[in-house]
Amino acid sequence: MRRIDVLTFLREVLRPLGQIIIFVLISSATLSLVVLLLSLILRGTPVNAMTLEKYGTDLVSYTLVNLPQVLIDGVTIGFVYATIALGYTMVYGVLEFINFAHSEIFAIGAFIGVEILIVLDGAGILKSASLGMAYVWLVLAILAGMVVAGTAAVIMERLAYRPLRGAPRLVPLISAIGVSFFLQDAIRLIESLTTGQFHRIIPTFGNFDARFSLAQMNILGNSVDLSIQSKSVIVILAAILMVVGLNYLVNATKLGKAIRSVAQDRPTASLMGINVNLIISMTFLIGGALGGAAGVLYALKFTRIDPFVGFFPGLKAFTAAVLGGIGNITGALLGGIVLGMLETFAGSYLSVFTMGAAGAEYKDILAFAILIGVLIFRPSGLLGEQVGQKA
Amino acid sequence: MALLETRNITKRFGGLQAVGKMDFTLDQGRIVSIIGPNGAGKTTFFNTLTGIYRPEEGEVLFDGHALVGLRPDQITTLGIARTFQNIRLFGAMTVLENILVGMYPRLRQTFLDILARNRKFHQEEDDAHRRAFELMTYVGLQGVENELARNLPYGQQRRIEIARALASSPKLLLLDEPTAGMNPRETDDAVRLFRRLRDELGITILLIEHSMRVVMDISERITVMDYGVKIAEGTPAEIASNPRVIEAYLGRGASELMEA
Amino acid sequence: MLLKLSLWLSKMLAAARQWLKQSKNASIFILVYLGVGFLWTYLSPRALVAFLFFISSALWLYYLPLSGRFKLIVGISMMLVLIPITGVRNISYLDVIFQISVFAALASGLNIVVGFAGLLDLGYVAFYAVGAYTWAIFGSQQMYLLHSIPGTSPPTPDFFLPADAFYLFVFLAIIVAAITGILLGLPVLRLRGDYLAIVTLGFGEVIRVLANNLDKPINLTNGPQGITPIQRPTLPEPVLNVFRAIMNPIVGHNISQKEFYDLFFYLAALSVIVVVILVVRRLDDSNIGRAWIAIREDETAAIAMGIPLVRMKLAAFATGASFAGAMGVLFAASRTFVSPESFSFMQSIGVLSMVILGGLGSIPGAIVGAAVVIILNLQVLQELSLYLNQLRQSDAVIPIINFAWKNLSSQLDPAKYQRLLFGIILILMMIYRPAGLIPAERRKRELKREENDAVNDPEADTGEELGNGAA
Repeated sequence: MRRIDVLTFLREVLRPLGQIIIFVLISSATLSLVVLLLSLILRGTPVNAMTLEKYGTDLVSYTLVNLPQVLIDGVTIGFVYATIALGYTMVYGVLEFINFAHSEIFAIGAFIGVEILIVLDGAGILKSASLGMAYVWLVLAILAGMVVAGTAAVIMERLAYRPLRGAPRLVPLISAIGVSFFLQDAIRLIESLTTGQFHRIIPTFGNFDARFSLAQMNILGNSVDLSIQSKSVIVILAAILMVVGLNYLVNATKLGKAIRSVAQDRPTASLMGINVNLIISMTFLIGGALGGAAGVLYALKFTRIDPFVGFFPGLKAFTAAVLGGIGNITGALLGGIVLGMLETFAGSYLSVFTMGAAGAEYKDILAFAILIGVLIFRPSGLLGEQVGQKA
Repeated sequence: MALLETRNITKRFGGLQAVGKMDFTLDQGRIVSIIGPNGAGKTTFFNTLTGIYRPEEGEVLFDGHALVGLRPDQITTLGIARTFQNIRLFGAMTVLENILVGMYPRLRQTFLDILARNRKFHQEEDDAHRRAFELMTYVGLQGVENELARNLPYGQQRRIEIARALASSPKLLLLDEPTAGMNPRETDDAVRLFRRLRDELGITILLIEHSMRVVMDISERITVMDYGVKIAEGTPAEIASNPRVIEAYLGRGASELMEA
Repeated sequence: MLLKLSLWLSKMLAAARQWLKQSKNASIFILVYLGVGFLWTYLSPRALVAFLFFISSALWLYYLPLSGRFKLIVGISMMLVLIPITGVRNISYLDVIFQISVFAALASGLNIVVGFAGLLDLGYVAFYAVGAYTWAIFGSQQMYLLHSIPGTSPPTPDFFLPADAFYLFVFLAIIVAAITGILLGLPVLRLRGDYLAIVTLGFGEVIRVLANNLDKPINLTNGPQGITPIQRPTLPEPVLNVFRAIMNPIVGHNISQKEFYDLFFYLAALSVIVVVILVVRRLDDSNIGRAWIAIREDETAAIAMGIPLVRMKLAAFATGASFAGAMGVLFAASRTFVSPESFSFMQSIGVLSMVILGGLGSIPGAIVGAAVVIILNLQVLQELSLYLNQLRQSDAVIPIINFAWKNLSSQLDPAKYQRLLFGIILILMMIYRPAGLIPAERRKRELKREENDAVNDPEADTGEELGNGAA
């Protein structure tokens, strides 16, 4: 019989939950304040006039009215980034290596999930499924994505990274870039051979697209309907589950302890009897599985995927990992939420505040701007790096 | 006349004070050693002198220049050269090229000179190559100029490091454990070389050393560090009989510093 | 049995190498090789193998021990006479050499940043884009369209600058790209290798997104539609007439303007790459080149030797960028059209794979790497694509699995699978041959006679000269 320390369990579960709540609240509050202040400052300027002209409301109203929805969307995408970021941060923590191809692990997960659902849909199973069964199928798709993606990550490490383990840092990085590119076209090849299509669309089933109305608010005379899509709720809940689960694994299990020790000091860990190669493979497996799950969730939220779907989310998630502090799981969570919020805020408000000069198209490079800023001004990230000791 | 003078140098890493209130004077034309148990802060002190670390407090004066705040390359250009505790040669370059790199502060060729391959460039490169060969001979490295530095045995690599340091025509040479890993005969050769550097080239030498044999043999003065601070300073004879030094190395109770 | 064969083979190769060491034999060899290659290509203009054989003589020319003057004469006659003649038989060869020259210059530029200085720049294509757009904006009508919506016609049919400003802009682009290189380099200088890579990737993307979106508030780049038409430099009438007079009978038809321009850009690109190679070789064997390699090998030791890291890294960025800028102008003018699509991350990785394939820090390596990748890309993948299409038209069936070729999705087009190509190159090279196909060799210095005597004389007092201190 295994004795689970109830206190440890509670601590390791409640702590990340607490962190999540705090991060979400702080970033929401900060960004909302910033945006409101800006709208108030710019009240007397041509920006206000243009908003009036284009949207029928003045700047402050526009800001306030859109704020709740922006927050919800920001949190949703933030959690997606956080989940992907976990994979980057775990591998970096253990090997001090950026697994550039993690974005393709994410894509593999997405494709497996979508293809399974398409097959099920083709067999008519999804349409006739009850609501409960729909959720079952979804979970199945996510699990399948996790398994395949995790396996792919392990194989990737074995074939393309392990032979290069002693080499100077740039060598495995270049190899990782090669793997990333190879996989992008490999996915494209497989898709072309089997389905002949470039884009794949997740079938609609269950109530995932349904909007739940959370609240009816009256803001400055405007009636605002605060709603959230069922799929966004699923994404958020799944992501929270994964973050808490990973946190528990790393901090409260024997495997987690082994991973942490390999991350801190590989030679000593092996002297202590830890099978370093196995632990590294496990790290890739876990990180890959998380990335794969994130892929299916992404497909659920955004419905359309293509072989290159991993590139931008991957880079943004990496930025999130660095922003929070690379190697640090909590950091990945914080970085993901902050980045997701920043990006959504920029997407919604940038074009209004700049009078159309800079629009939502620039939100993709916002992540790069943040990355550059973090690396120059605070390279250890918001919460500090957690990587091994240098020899 | 003091070539190098430090006042109150303090270097902290987080909560740990690696070097504390280090006052140190070095006269021109001398060979002086810094000794102390492992972790005493000797290499950190060197790194502070050469600009790799910036001290939290204190000043360094070299030949009239204040060094604190300067970049390492600026300090090298002023006339301080160093070797490293674990040899840091440029492995993928030949011996000759390693030494030529050391000459960087003294070469005047500009980007345009290089593109134009004018007479100034050719003249300077020929002189530099000639000087590099001379330096190789001087330290005892004949015939290996085209070998890749990483392929040579340890003893020769140490010599390359010294030749490379000499290439910038330094006034002060900082040697970090230059005889580590050497057998007695190699050590004697090295000591002879250091003396020649002082006598023939007028270079002031500051050594970090663990080998008491070398230290006692060559040093005109010895400074002893422990836990980041100076605990003794004096001639070899004075240091050998200093109870605080003996205690630092051998612990309380030991009363004899072994003779080399 | 196999052992005997391989022993015999290596004996033959050794004997051949010995034979070729003599300059006279080498010259016979290269002339024969070149002659065979040229004739074969001339007679079978569609045969890829012939063309490869032909241009591989350039590699032989580089390596064989021949006199400098001989190499120059053969090289020039190859570039100015032989290749253009084969170009007559198959005009696409001129374009292939053009592409190889362009990417060889790009690879050489990236080689300086990655191979010499050891800075992994994943956004190198940004400098190419800067050069291309510099000419695109000023050499077209875009300057008249700054306040128009993308897609509208220009108010006047004039171009902003005369077409021959092209030549000026090649030099201007060098400066603009170099400045961009410095601007990019400044914030990334202190970053460690892998972070520097990601940040430069970001910069590359930023430039692409800017090119894609700077059609408002002022229409600088015309957004995703790109800028067209872009001027090409004028071909002087008298030269044209003379050329036509000579060449028309040989070719058999009136040489069109397009063919002239193919030839012109072929020559222009070759001129640029020749200058690039010259510059890189001179830099390699100099104070700056040694400083770069020292920085790559060990930054801490390099700075302890007095090498100013900031200045040297910026110099590497600027120099590498300038090559890309110059070629960008040629690219824009030769296609008369630029769009943000040509400057994607994939292009940066393409150039990187050329450098890695050829050999980091290796000057001939960058050229060979570029040539191999371009030929694989343009010729091999294209051929595969055409072949596949042929199979699709036919009624043939894939053996064993009995799947009809014509049922194969049209999505499957080998010509588009560059990512696969680049990815495989990078992975295989890193695992099996990280030094590249042609590893960089540090130059060996020959001891001069007098120095030899002085060095071997144990009594010689070399101390005094050293004591003077001056180099």
